Amino acid sequence: MSALIRAEFLKLRSTRTAFGLFIAALVVSVVPAVLVMSFVPRDALSDGGAPIAAAGLTLVPILAVVFGILGMTNEYRHGTITYTYLATPRRGIVMIVKLVCYAIVGSAVMAATALLVVLAIALIAALRDIALPWLTASNVSDLETLRDAAMFLVTAGLMTAFGVSLGALFRAQVPTVAGVVVWALAAESIIAVIKPRLGIYLPFAAFQRLTMGGALRTGEADAMMPSISRPAAFLVAIAYIAVFSVAAVFISMRRDVT
Amino acid sequence: MAVIEAEHLSKRFGKRVLAVDDVSFNIEPGTITGFLGPNGAGKTTTLRMIVDLVRPSAGSVRILGSRYRDLARPTTRVGALLDASGFHPGRSGVNALRVVAASAGISYERVDAALEMVELKGAARRAVKGYSTGMKQRLALAAALLGDPEVLLLDEPANGLDPEGIRWLRTFLRARAAEGRTVLVSSHVLAEVEQTVDDILIISNGRLLAQGPISELMRTAQPVIRVRSPQAERLEGLLLAKGAAVNRLGDALAVRGPTGAVVGEIAHAGGVVIHELLTEQPSLEDLFLQIAGTRREA
Repeated sequence: MSALIRAEFLKLRSTRTAFGLFIAALVVSVVPAVLVMSFVPRDALSDGGAPIAAAGLTLVPILAVVFGILGMTNEYRHGTITYTYLATPRRGIVMIVKLVCYAIVGSAVMAATALLVVLAIALIAALRDIALPWLTASNVSDLETLRDAAMFLVTAGLMTAFGVSLGALFRAQVPTVAGVVVWALAAESIIAVIKPRLGIYLPFAAFQRLTMGGALRTGEADAMMPSISRPAAFLVAIAYIAVFSVAAVFISMRRDVT
Repeated sequence: MAVIEAEHLSKRFGKRVLAVDDVSFNIEPGTITGFLGPNGAGKTTTLRMIVDLVRPSAGSVRILGSRYRDLARPTTRVGALLDASGFHPGRSGVNALRVVAASAGISYERVDAALEMVELKGAARRAVKGYSTGMKQRLALAAALLGDPEVLLLDEPANGLDPEGIRWLRTFLRARAAEGRTVLVSSHVLAEVEQTVDDILIISNGRLLAQGPISELMRTAQPVIRVRSPQAERLEGLLLAKGAAVNRLGDALAVRGPTGAVVGEIAHAGGVVIHELLTEQPSLEDLFLQIAGTRREA
């Protein structure tokens, strides 16, 4: 098992996919944070507008799903799955290790990105002499904020693992990535409009409920839309990941590698 | 005990494609066995079934006494070259092998040794996407050798190699066999393995047509009679009427079936002038065509 974990991290280190995820995460989160903090009028930021500077962080888990898909589909696309299964014919173990390793990397990228976003916001706020009450030491270290942050990291990890299981199930890289993006950004929204009660239980709605519950949460928005509690969203997300991961392991064990 | 034992192995893809049909064979230790057949004959599917990458629809195969998946650290016992393009193009050659080594719990020192063995050390730090086909083939061979295995399964290892590379491969395989290793090497280019292998398996359309030591099988092959005549067309008709298999190209005939003496007598009786008649020892290709042809007629 330790050999497989070592190999999985070496695979990640020896290509640019993980680095690409990190760069993409910075582009969607740190860059908007810097622009907002640099150009939005001070008063608007002091009046509670500053958290919107961190809104790009909510896109990082979507990138994490894509990263997970790429991690698995690249094995099929480049044929490296042959060597992977030759070294470890017990395919179930291969899949479990991959799910865990990618979840760790997804969480780590999320943590590093979030840290850089907060640092960028704090630095520019200090330079522009903007008071940010939500960023005071006591606020950042309160239990609720820490719980939100932990949930954010766990969600990013879970979504990366979700991507791995989707990649294992569908194998074809471009259709899987395109399908997931269309599903996450369009299909779920349409279903949510037609059947709001069903929409809240869809996978990306559950993931979004988990990631939007923290510093970016807006009471008004929550009040307008049907929603489930965060613990319920967590259970729904876990259920999706469990079902897709078990299916991925099962299908990987039975599939011919030709 | 045989190193590889395949019993009534079959593989069907979907309802229409029967890739391998009831194939049984044994591979003896310390031999180089050529697994021969045209493209699409079922060689790759059979090799992949041996290492559990493809599940047989029927039958079973054991390697070193058990199923591949039941071998402890299988890549240290069985090395397989199945897909020379099976490397991430962005990874360097050395990292591609390190990934394989790490998965199998093999030390990185073996990576250097394997690269040295396939003479690829100078290009080890380059990305695989910059490798030629022959270099990728050598890298895949290095991956198969990483665990210093006692059995090598090589699927078309000469693909993409230049004549010098093919000669190198031949020497390389002979050296591995001299070390007591067992090699099963597939190829559709029969001349390429003729000088290398001890035993052969001949497969066509998913069915095993012949197996055994190459020397014994070659003894059963009929010689080819080469004849040149200004009346080649007439001679062809006479020979065909006597049941011989004849290929004609201009004034030259290649005749299988009758001996040289019989061909001469048929020509004499028919009043056909002959300019040249010689008996050629059959090549592996001739043997294959005879066996495949016989089975098709049967």
